[in-house]
Amino acid sequence: MLKVLIPVDGSANSLRAVEYLIAQTPLFKEPLDVHLLNVQHAFPGTVRGVRAEAEKFHHDEGIKALAAARQLLDAAGVNYTYHINVGDAAESICQFIKAQNLDQVIMGRRGMGAVASMLMGSVTDKVLHLVDVPIVLVK
Amino acid sequence: MIEYLSNPLFWVGLGQIIVVNIILSGDNAVVIALAARSLPPNQQKQAIIWGSVAAIVMRVILTIVAVEMLKLPYLKLVGALLLFWIAVQLLVPEEDADDGVKSSGNLWAAIRTILIADLVMSLDNVIGVAAAAKGDNILLMLGLAISIPLIIFGSTLILKLMDRYPLIITGGAALLGWVAGEMLITDPALVDWIAAHMPWIHIHLPLVGDLSWAQILGAALVILAGKVMHARAARTQAVDLAAGDEQNK
Repeated sequence: MLKVLIPVDGSANSLRAVEYLIAQTPLFKEPLDVHLLNVQHAFPGTVRGVRAEAEKFHHDEGIKALAAARQLLDAAGVNYTYHINVGDAAESICQFIKAQNLDQVIMGRRGMGAVASMLMGSVTDKVLHLVDVPIVLVK
Repeated sequence: MIEYLSNPLFWVGLGQIIVVNIILSGDNAVVIALAARSLPPNQQKQAIIWGSVAAIVMRVILTIVAVEMLKLPYLKLVGALLLFWIAVQLLVPEEDADDGVKSSGNLWAAIRTILIADLVMSLDNVIGVAAAAKGDNILLMLGLAISIPLIIFGSTLILKLMDRYPLIITGGAALLGWVAGEMLITDPALVDWIAAHMPWIHIHLPLVGDLSWAQILGAALVILAGKVMHARAARTQAVDLAAGDEQNK
């Protein structure tokens, strides 16, 4: 079974990647093993003493960010599992791909402002740079 | 008054104090909001109101204490080191280690969490603001005034900023390192020794004004230490917060 990852931040770009996957599924003989991953920003280290609440908060925010993508997949009848990590988006995505032995990544370009992407490079650029598996970039 | 307002140093100081406050009052507001989340809805408002009142009272008291304390020798030195540590903490993602505080959904447990956080974070904030104010009491009081609305309304602001502009945390941490460097070399116990032995530490630039190597080094060290700690944290395996959800079982 082909293991496919779609990183989802809830943006229109990430939803286009989901739509692309749905459009592609009839082309595969076997059903795909689809994983959705949302990565939440960690709080600064000065936010202490509320770890359990912080995890619940990240979980709830992750569920919100994943909602639209899950709706699309549910409506199309595509099975999937979803995951929520906390940390740097690109690093978490790369770590996830290695840990889960994924075969392919389908991702949109992240909707960051021009200034921010100039200063930091986009998450997509960083993932493209770090990952060994094939990546489908949906524009 | 006009002279005061036309002094560019005043505006630089004020700008620094606002940035320090957004970060070091914003995180306090986040802790209050998070601790209150585990409570039943009718108690959430109470916990937030009392948590905010306690944070404000602690800041007022600590600010008054700080004004007097920082005139004593060696205390600026201690303050600068503490501030440097706070700045590095800002750049390290939230800790994984169990901090011993359990969420129980109980009002008193939540209030205790909030009060401890208020005390620690008010201390952080007052040291940060005092360092940026450089002994100017008007700036110190303005810093205090600015922190109050930020504690009350700051949690959503800092969450949005972190999401859209994560660089603000890095920038804020670097700024804390910068003001810590300056605080360090203006300690009454060090000031004469530095003037005698390390006069080159002060730099005068034509347009920018007076700087010092201590500030530059402070900011650079914070960024470097943050990078090292961040890399160490990134090596640990990430936790999947959705692993226990119904659909994924």
